[in-house]
Amino acid sequence: MATLEKVDAVIVGAGASGSLFASVLSKAGKKVVLLEAGPDWQLSDLISSDLWGRRVKPAVIPFLLEGKNPYGYAYQAGWGVGGAALHYFANFPRYLPNDFKVKSEHNRGLDWPIAYADLAPYYDKVAQEIGVSGDAKAEEIWRPRGQPYPMPPMKTFRNGEVWLKGLESVGIRMVPQPVGMNSVEFKGRPACIYDGWCHVGCPIGALANPVVTYLADARKAGAEVRALSTVTRVLTNEAGDKVTGVEYYDARKEKQLQPAGVVILAAWSAQNPRLMMISATDKHPKGLANSSGLLGKYMMAHYASGTWALFDEDIESHMGTIGGQFMSYDRYDKTSRKGAFGSTYILAGSALKTSDLGGFANARLDLFGQPLADFMQRAKRGITRLTAFGEEMPNIDNRIELAESKDEFGMPLARIVHSFDQDAVALWNANFEEGLTIAKATGAKEFWSARGNQPTIHLFGGTIMGSGAADSVTDSYGQTHEIPNLWVAGPGLFPTEGASNPTYTIFAVSQRGAEQLVSKWGTVAG
Amino acid sequence: MSEVERRALMKGAAMSALAFSVGGSQFLLSPRQARAENIPYRTLSPQQVDTLDALGETLVPGAAAAGVSHFVDQQLSIPPEEALLEARILNIRPPYVNFYRAALGAVDRASLANNDNRAFAHLSANERRDFVDQMRQNKVTGWQGPPGPFVYLVMRSDAVDVVYGTMDGYSALGMPYMAHITPTKRW
Repeated sequence: MATLEKVDAVIVGAGASGSLFASVLSKAGKKVVLLEAGPDWQLSDLISSDLWGRRVKPAVIPFLLEGKNPYGYAYQAGWGVGGAALHYFANFPRYLPNDFKVKSEHNRGLDWPIAYADLAPYYDKVAQEIGVSGDAKAEEIWRPRGQPYPMPPMKTFRNGEVWLKGLESVGIRMVPQPVGMNSVEFKGRPACIYDGWCHVGCPIGALANPVVTYLADARKAGAEVRALSTVTRVLTNEAGDKVTGVEYYDARKEKQLQPAGVVILAAWSAQNPRLMMISATDKHPKGLANSSGLLGKYMMAHYASGTWALFDEDIESHMGTIGGQFMSYDRYDKTSRKGAFGSTYILAGSALKTSDLGGFANARLDLFGQPLADFMQRAKRGITRLTAFGEEMPNIDNRIELAESKDEFGMPLARIVHSFDQDAVALWNANFEEGLTIAKATGAKEFWSARGNQPTIHLFGGTIMGSGAADSVTDSYGQTHEIPNLWVAGPGLFPTEGASNPTYTIFAVSQRGAEQLVSKWGTVAG
Repeated sequence: MSEVERRALMKGAAMSALAFSVGGSQFLLSPRQARAENIPYRTLSPQQVDTLDALGETLVPGAAAAGVSHFVDQQLSIPPEEALLEARILNIRPPYVNFYRAALGAVDRASLANNDNRAFAHLSANERRDFVDQMRQNKVTGWQGPPGPFVYLVMRSDAVDVVYGTMDGYSALGMPYMAHITPTKRW
């Protein structure tokens, strides 16, 4: 094993949060190395195809998926630079003030150690930095005032507009969906052309994936990306009060030791706790920074209640972006649904493709043979979808734990154990019911619920933030309570998950954390 | 991406034709072309190919001619990191061939047991349809293998991919494809 030259910071994972940390730290003059387990994708690798788009997701995963609702890992995860944000939908809703105080306000779930007001300036900063299109003023019927977005809303299409009458009929107000996409040229990146291939990676840079935003900035400022490099252990000093670097296997499968003053784990909600558990020592027998016993606990996922509608008119089902055209927080109150608990976030209109999990061939999964062929013909110009995302409360039984079996590097795999509770099931069902009411009021020729197994979308928890080592793994910046130069970034920090798409909040939390790390560097770095 | 990574990943990553081997040489072909040119299979047995073709065609008309068996066979012969199969995003653990062998075996075993010792490919069109409908609902008597509804999902996805998921498929359906980066072969 070769010992490399010490760097200021090593960041494990070059996805959304890792790229942002790399950008902030390298611009502050720190020598930064990002270790990314997957490839160093270029924009020219992002072929517009659902089949070819699967390459940017992992094929070999170090997790066993268990529980009543096993987590759908591979579809959600990233593999390579950009991480899951290379293929995300770039919906950029914020969390609302009620997301941060669920325990205080309802005696359910957990509180964040910060409030919406602590994060608000960072939402604004991120929007200006990487570009958000939307109508901030329109959103302010639900949230405190902030800065306007730097770009006007995206274009809308009939496949989104046809939902508005039905939504209005049940009192749901819709506003333009804020997105991390360019409605006009922004900082040299072109405007979107609405071809709907966002989810396989946008190769023109109209969508703000990390490869064209934070990671590009970080590289420009001197950060080094080492792709196909799998970290197998975080190393600590003898006293156990500092990390000293990481051990990893490089692209040639040779073992390397990378010393660093600070280690930032940004390898997503599942891999971060796995690495911290694998790195256990006699000083940290349950895993690094785990005196609370909460490392790997409170894993959470969103779920969606989809409603399909089929119209006779040509609603240009293929046009737009994959994310959404309109959104609403009108069912975001935690007690909006009788007999259930949790927020609901509503999206209408998106471009549809034929195949893959989200394709409209799966809109009627019961059909096969000629009936499927007939359906595809009917649907190609007239199908559209309404989506209601639901919130799951943190449950300590939903967890990551090490397994007996090993990966190719001899490190233990981990189990992700996940089950939805009755509140999540009830909310999922209630959102289906309202979806049908809405669809009926649109005048659609046919409509139906997209029912199947309750899906698991996005991934949170495992390294939750809190006020101290007794109730959490990190503080609100991502600094672990017990090892000052070990930081964690990403949605694993979230004590509750809200119901809206998380990446904008991941960026805001990461921006706040990265700035804090820079400001107290002298007292943190080893 | 560095040259090392390119080698470690996939040859022809920027192209969307698949690499089929014939007599030690490699040809970039679409699955439809590979079928039309009778390219030898590398992984699946003749019986598995028959079953997969029959199953694919029952699930999505046109799947056999679109080369569903060549598509799956070629994909099973390459490293999982390079694979384009929907199995990849359905959390099937590599090597994917284990799943396909188990799934196709389960279909044929159940067909033999329930249809006078006839394999799935030897059933009539109506019998195939009934079998798939039962499999979809996990109601096939004596089924032994991966869960029937999951086999249905995976096989249906492969058939949808080759019939509707390609540029040619969009064209045949009459739906604009609108690629940013066009797959260089229209498969």
